Amino acid sequence: MSSVWLPCGDYHQDYAEDQGWWQTRFIKGKMILLLLAVFVGIPLFAGEYWMSVGTMVGYTAMGALGVQLLIGYSGLLTLGHAAFIAVGAYTSTMLILQFPWPQSLLDSGLAYPISIVVAGIVAGLWSVLFGLPSVKVKGFYLILTTMAAQFITVDFILTQYISQIGGRGQAFSLPPGTIKIGPWVVDNERSVYYLMAILLTLMVIVLANLLRSKPGRAWVAIRDNDIAAETLGINIVWYKLLAFFVAGFMAGIAGAFWVCNTAALSPEHFQWFLSLWLVGVILIGGVGSIQGAIFGSIFMVVVMELLQMVALPVAEYFPSILMDFAYIKDMAFGLAICAFLIYEPNGLAYRWWQAKNYFNLWPFSY
Amino acid sequence: MKKSISLKVLVVLLGVVFLAGVSTIAAAKEIKVGGIMDTTGATSDVGKDYAIGMSDAYKYINSQGGVNGKEIKYTWFDYGYRVPEAITKYKMLKRMGNVVIMGWGTGDTEALSPTVNKDQIPYVSASYSAHLTDPKKTPYNLFFSSDYSTNARSAITAWFDKKWSKHPDFGKRKPRFACCYMFASPYCSAPIKAIKDQAELLGFEVGPDQDVSLFALDTKSQIMALKTFKPDLLWHGNTTMSVAATVRDAYALGLGAAWIVNNWGFDENLPRLAGEAAEGVMGATPCAFFGQDVKNMDLVVSSAEKYSPGVPLGKRLNRTVQAWGDALITWEALKRADKKGIDITKKGSGPGMMKEGFETLRNYDIGLGAAPISFTATDHRPATGCRIQEWKGGKFQVVEDIDLKKRWPELWETKWLGW
Repeated sequence: MSSVWLPCGDYHQDYAEDQGWWQTRFIKGKMILLLLAVFVGIPLFAGEYWMSVGTMVGYTAMGALGVQLLIGYSGLLTLGHAAFIAVGAYTSTMLILQFPWPQSLLDSGLAYPISIVVAGIVAGLWSVLFGLPSVKVKGFYLILTTMAAQFITVDFILTQYISQIGGRGQAFSLPPGTIKIGPWVVDNERSVYYLMAILLTLMVIVLANLLRSKPGRAWVAIRDNDIAAETLGINIVWYKLLAFFVAGFMAGIAGAFWVCNTAALSPEHFQWFLSLWLVGVILIGGVGSIQGAIFGSIFMVVVMELLQMVALPVAEYFPSILMDFAYIKDMAFGLAICAFLIYEPNGLAYRWWQAKNYFNLWPFSY
Repeated sequence: MKKSISLKVLVVLLGVVFLAGVSTIAAAKEIKVGGIMDTTGATSDVGKDYAIGMSDAYKYINSQGGVNGKEIKYTWFDYGYRVPEAITKYKMLKRMGNVVIMGWGTGDTEALSPTVNKDQIPYVSASYSAHLTDPKKTPYNLFFSSDYSTNARSAITAWFDKKWSKHPDFGKRKPRFACCYMFASPYCSAPIKAIKDQAELLGFEVGPDQDVSLFALDTKSQIMALKTFKPDLLWHGNTTMSVAATVRDAYALGLGAAWIVNNWGFDENLPRLAGEAAEGVMGATPCAFFGQDVKNMDLVVSSAEKYSPGVPLGKRLNRTVQAWGDALITWEALKRADKKGIDITKKGSGPGMMKEGFETLRNYDIGLGAAPISFTATDHRPATGCRIQEWKGGKFQVVEDIDLKKRWPELWETKWLGW
């Protein structure tokens, strides 16, 4: 699915141009507008609620990017991603609350940024551990081994041991003002939203660049046919584990970000349903597409919120709709996945590509 | 044909948008109260009745003229006991301009408490976690009931007072005690530290905890593990469904230990689900059971009949009464704040509501069999003790009313606040 349409007669003259992200001035303009909308428009014009919805979209997208890398680009089926997000969240929180930071680091607001990076690395390594079976098994069997990550990590290690540290019971609560990046205190909707937007943008840039470099090509080759990839000389063990590391790293960042949205943490935040939800997100958004992970996140979060808004006035006349609303949401989630798999298996990203093509080729689209 | 379907869809959508608009305009002068309930999630076995009870209570309050003539607009959502969901629901309720929020679970209430502090919105929850009772940390978290730690301390004390003294081994050895609860659930684990502290205070030998899921239907492996410890007494900190499953398995496997249960695991459904195994089970009951003979129970029962005719009275639980407890303290606090001139229809009225409303409640009797309720600026523990009841001979019977403050005044004042 090419996303680049150069005007007739324009050709790339060097490799850098060929590999450039924004190849025409129109595309560059569109992307600048998008970034302006995300970084300026939404914080200026959206209220706190819509910013918090945006934050949830971003958190979902951060998690979904890792799932997209594993399932969409590397063909490694996973249903245990919530566990890696949890590892990131707990690593970051434990570091902030328990680690004996030098006062100078605390004062200069470096504890949280360092904890984000460490959270990513720990979650990445933890993910590799559960990715090891991918050397031997794939498909359905890999789903089961990744599901084991959920039970071992969240239900056992975090619940029984890690969350007991500090004598606070199961929930860690971060005192206000704890989450600082330099002099910037992340303690309100706007700052949390900005942090999300920055982290998500960075993650998209890193993943997009990785995908067009050697590892990215290797992942796609492994996804398409791992035996053929091996005969081409690709070290599939290394690249599969690298995919797990990168996906886990991103999950760790998502987890570390989640902490500043709640300022508290409990194993209940990382139920197995979250892993399933993230797979649903990429199915709806489009498997094998970075935009897909973001489109899917927007769809799953914003549509559900809109559904809720519709339910509210209707509840004046049918009060039971509120009592059953969570069922309706779950049903809508299932229904959306079924409908997309039947009618648009390539997801929203493909629709977006078609829409762009229609305009790019107009009036000669056919 | 296609056009006509599109037209119909458009008309329905426009209708919904119109209704949303009309309801927003109409709600401009109302007191907005929000609710976050669990009617479909892990604790829906008790949450559904609570949600219906809360809705009944606000309909009744409005039938009585609302708050000094101002109507309350109560809007609530089910969040399926999922913390991230609770967070977005909270933000939506805040955006809608709700000035008080009726919450539910411990995980989400504790997770939201820093945000609630920042937003200064009184958050009256069904989580009675003692972690929420220290105003220095959680000044806007409230509930009407004795907290979980007080419940647990009271229950183990009542058993020690009334049952252990009649045990054949009394005076010969220490009583053995262990806890069953879902480790991962902040609700279940909230009072564990307190109950173990109390067990040590009373001279129990404390055994290993058993992890029992809120969804548990089979707990035989936990019971077998307990058999090696041979406990005399077990605390169960879950909700009714998993408590019933555990009690039933213990009965079937002849464990022989007595049970004390936290309030959300001890209701009219327990004997229905556990049958004979429920005989002798004791539980913390911070208010009366549905239909019991107390001052304001008529209001609860008649409102249930009037506002929720689809749910037979025989199926209602003391969860409805608990919902009324939280609604009634909120009503009283709103009335007091309103009389003092706080504009409780406006965003940002939280601090005034706390100071002139909730924190003026002293020994306030809601008339539903609950201990008198007090909140001060330095202590949000609503009650100083708890009534412990037992399912015996086909009915709930009072074992003992424990007042921790009277019994251990120094510990109550200096050590036990906030955990």
